[in-house]
Amino acid sequence: MKTRLRYIALSEAEEEMVLGAPLTIAEHGVTNFSLPAGHVLTEQNIRQIALRHGEFVCIAVADTRSDAECAEALAQAQARLDVIFSLVDRHRPAIAGLYKAVLAYRSI
Amino acid sequence: MALHLSEAEIIERAALLPAFPAVVNDILQTLDDDNATIGTLCSLVERDPVITGRVFSLANSAAMGGRTPRELRDMQVAISLVGLSRVREIVLAVSLAEFSRESRMSNYFWEHSVAVGVAAQELARIAHYSVDYALVGGLLHDIGQLWMARCYPLEFQMVRMAMQAQTKACILDTERQHFGTDHCVVGRVLATAWHLPASVVAAISHHHDLYPPADKLVATTHVAEAIANALDLSRHEEARVGQLSEAACQQLSLDWHADLNFLFGKIEARTRYLCQTFAAS
Repeated sequence: MKTRLRYIALSEAEEEMVLGAPLTIAEHGVTNFSLPAGHVLTEQNIRQIALRHGEFVCIAVADTRSDAECAEALAQAQARLDVIFSLVDRHRPAIAGLYKAVLAYRSI
Repeated sequence: MALHLSEAEIIERAALLPAFPAVVNDILQTLDDDNATIGTLCSLVERDPVITGRVFSLANSAAMGGRTPRELRDMQVAISLVGLSRVREIVLAVSLAEFSRESRMSNYFWEHSVAVGVAAQELARIAHYSVDYALVGGLLHDIGQLWMARCYPLEFQMVRMAMQAQTKACILDTERQHFGTDHCVVGRVLATAWHLPASVVAAISHHHDLYPPADKLVATTHVAEAIANALDLSRHEEARVGQLSEAACQQLSLDWHADLNFLFGKIEARTRYLCQTFAAS
């Protein structure tokens, strides 16, 4: 099944959600909690993350969209980006890099 | 006809705003004080009942994962559970949220400030810079606009209308046409009058500059605003990316060709979390 990644606030996390990326919490440079990608969250996990001051998680959600719907969603995101970047010269390296990076993020 | 505002008038009119929370300066001073302890932070927090209540509430929620309510009544225990850095973040965000609420700041304005504050924190982590300074710089970067809206609402509205009518207009030029100055200058005057640290004053003053001075907080605030707008975090129709300094990006060691999905996702999720947690109104 096709999935897509979503980054959500911890307050939005629920048990049975599947981690889309490894979760690592470090304090003073020392990892004190970690879960692998693909791990199914439990109530206890969510409490453990909160106890260690985690604020967000990356989850994998089922992507039921067709290819055409994905392409349409990306086109809409790009159109909005074009408006947001309408005041600047997109040939400048930093601007071009930011635009490309945000578009890549919208594609996931 | 444009106003011609002197620094003295900007400071005098700032009396229309609520008193700037002294705890912000106090917290920033503790960062540079090697002798600052949990006790120091406790005494700062406990001076303000609103902040005390919010810290306890958030500490309870954090400690119990928001699932099992439990009453924490001892501030030292709360700080030990939540951690010094997190409590500092809570105090800074709550006090500035209260200031914004009392200033009748619009939701959009507050959400944009939080978005820039969170993006600045994440950039500061990459650049090995203080996340507390980054949060304050981000939350206060547009403080000059708040002054404009509160002290000269008619002129402020005219700026907004001009920006909506001319899609290519520069916000600073438009403000100068109506105010004789811009929000970066007003913000610098206010931040100086409030005795904020020099780097915070510089961040407020130079956050729109294409060639900002070489200072990590200036660079962090400048790039954070570009990212917050690019990610459309406050979902405002007028959101636009302005200048983006190559030098500022280099100073933060930002590589736009790297995979930034995790960074952007973290900024987006944390902004939503902090907007929920520290709602200004």
